[in-house]
Amino acid sequence: MTSFRKRTVQKPIRGTRTSPHTGQVITSSGNPSLDLILGGGLPIGSICLIEEDRFMTHAKVLAKYFLAEGLLSKQELFLGSLDDLPEEMLRRLPKPLTDEEVEQEQRLEQEQQADKNGLRIAFRYNDLPLVNSEQATAKIGHHFNLMEHMDAMMLSYAHATIWNDKKTNQEDYEDFDVANDSEQPRAGGGESLPDPSESMLYSYAQVVGSKADPDQEGEQSPPPDAAPTQAAAAAAETDEATPMEQSDGQKTAPNINNNNNNNMDNSTANNTTSTTGTTTTTTPTASPPTGKPQFFYNARYDRLLNYIQLLLNDSIFEPGANMQEKNLCRVCLTSLGSPLWYDDHFAEDLLKFLTILRGSVRSCTAVCFITMPMHLIAKYDSSLVPKIRQLVDYAIELESFAGSERETHPAFKEYSGLLHLHKMSAINTLAVHMPETTDLAFKLRRKKFVIEKLHLPPDLQESSEQTAKSADVLPIPNCGVNSNVSMDF
Amino acid sequence: MAASVLLACGLNEQKLPGFVHISEESNVDGSFLISCILGQRLRISNAGTLLVCLQNHYQHYFNAGMRLGYNSNIFLGKTFNVIDVLSDMARHGLSSKWLRSPDGLTLTDQLVKDIREQLEKNYPNRSSYTILIDNLSILINLGASKQQVQQFCLDLADLAKAHDNLTVITKLSNSDIHPLTDNNVAKLGNVRIQVLRLKSGVFREVDGKLLIERVLDDEGSYSCEQTRKEVLYKVNDRNVKIFNPGEIGVKV
Repeated sequence: MTSFRKRTVQKPIRGTRTSPHTGQVITSSGNPSLDLILGGGLPIGSICLIEEDRFMTHAKVLAKYFLAEGLLSKQELFLGSLDDLPEEMLRRLPKPLTDEEVEQEQRLEQEQQADKNGLRIAFRYNDLPLVNSEQATAKIGHHFNLMEHMDAMMLSYAHATIWNDKKTNQEDYEDFDVANDSEQPRAGGGESLPDPSESMLYSYAQVVGSKADPDQEGEQSPPPDAAPTQAAAAAAETDEATPMEQSDGQKTAPNINNNNNNNMDNSTANNTTSTTGTTTTTTPTASPPTGKPQFFYNARYDRLLNYIQLLLNDSIFEPGANMQEKNLCRVCLTSLGSPLWYDDHFAEDLLKFLTILRGSVRSCTAVCFITMPMHLIAKYDSSLVPKIRQLVDYAIELESFAGSERETHPAFKEYSGLLHLHKMSAINTLAVHMPETTDLAFKLRRKKFVIEKLHLPPDLQESSEQTAKSADVLPIPNCGVNSNVSMDF
Repeated sequence: MAASVLLACGLNEQKLPGFVHISEESNVDGSFLISCILGQRLRISNAGTLLVCLQNHYQHYFNAGMRLGYNSNIFLGKTFNVIDVLSDMARHGLSSKWLRSPDGLTLTDQLVKDIREQLEKNYPNRSSYTILIDNLSILINLGASKQQVQQFCLDLADLAKAHDNLTVITKLSNSDIHPLTDNNVAKLGNVRIQVLRLKSGVFREVDGKLLIERVLDDEGSYSCEQTRKEVLYKVNDRNVKIFNPGEIGVKV
């Protein structure tokens, strides 16, 4: 017997890489500048919390980036929301840019900057390299154009589960097609919304898009990505708490206009039907999980958590498993903790939910992206904010200038808002990556969302009036929060 | 690697105090202390250790330990045991015993029961035994009342009193939000380590402050001496550095 052992090199999961700094497996958040702040990307098993701005626009943009990146990397998506229409959100994902387009855009930006900064008197400084406050792009991930929506063809390859806790009627469901125009009737949304009191009692989860690999287009054999859905259905059969119903289908032609959905009883877990359109697998529940008493006061948390756990318990998301079909699951929950979630036990339920979710996400190859209206939560209970931050790995607050006096202030004319890093925790390691600076601002350009180092414009004239005015407007630097407090060192 | 921080906290000796409480303020991460203490306990031959994972799962402590220069997997199942509540909840979902106890026990009762079982099994064979609980605020998040958490800590403190060479180390996050629980739990022991953030802001060369309070009471005497020590810490990739206040300044 020899001591020779064949070295088995594990195939990396699509859209991930190992961080040279921490040795962690990381994946892109979809936004290159956010990736840079996070140290290359989000570590597998982490939860990133984006604290929404008042108008909830910028956090949604980041959520779209997160989902679009997952879709492009052929990763599994889970999108849950009570406030938004998840189908609509998926339809409006930004369009990816090709390498040539990215290069062209970067060149254009450099030229524009050079023109803007052209010096006539101290012209020798023109030879110096430009200070680029928009930090270098990350090595993983894609670039997206916010001006255009993702191609319907690309969307048809999405493997996404959506949850919005609405009762859906069968006809609406069958009409739903994520790849189609937004004019299409929406499942459980728009006019087809059921009575709100009834909708509390029903939930549905849905897998939209084709599970076929683009390379295998036209083939009749079931695609490999179908495995999680089938396994989920099998698990659903055994789990009384989540009576998911399952249907499946195959993509036979690139035509994406038609869907076929089959709702079945739990006894008939799988039914494969060939259609001329995108496969849409629906998993509506006719009733809330029964058989076991609720763990949460608000049954919505039970249902949402059941669906997430059912998805994450799939073997393809098992860490360390040496499988060919290993994949990453991106869980995106938008506006969690919004007033639609309120009830008498809101705080208790939310903390319980986040604690259990943390356990689930940590134990598999998944990343979670949550947006929360923290300004509303702070008004509900201010002590809830640090408790929530403690349960996530990254807490990033987006403070928009919209509606505030900073919007017109000359010091901030370049930016849309400030970005506050409240928490960055070390996962599976000792030290946490800290970005070059924590004084960050963001701007929502026409085509992209950019995070930059905060700097004041050089031409800001110093007058006594302006200084006095800016004293209460300028952001307080991180070092020296309160002048009354003596330094710790 | 972690010797300096343990020295500063007075936890570098073989025989530790019966009950040690770590208070962690909001917006500061003190889980490095658990990793440091764990490494120190594992290195002592024939010393038993039980880790209750509530905040992070076991894999985190293993990876952090590798950075600090010890491999906890070598000791796992021998001198080292783990109650991984977080992974169990992930595996069994809402039907996990920590969320729905089949015996009708509360979460804290279930935990005490499991800790007692581990103790009965392992304590007789070990020269000393350490129970590490990271962290108590997760119990509150999962629905345990403050009274239940206090009772849980009281039960553990009783265990420490009843057994020689048994140390219980607890950690509570958001201690500024749960001051009552934090103080009551800290009163159960003689050593309290507070992990505090820098009040003056964020500094690249220092992560936070450790405030170590020890109550030195001699048995039989009525005098009680309390010592307070303050050090600054910086968690690096493979070690934790300790500074005295005033030792470092801003480099220009």
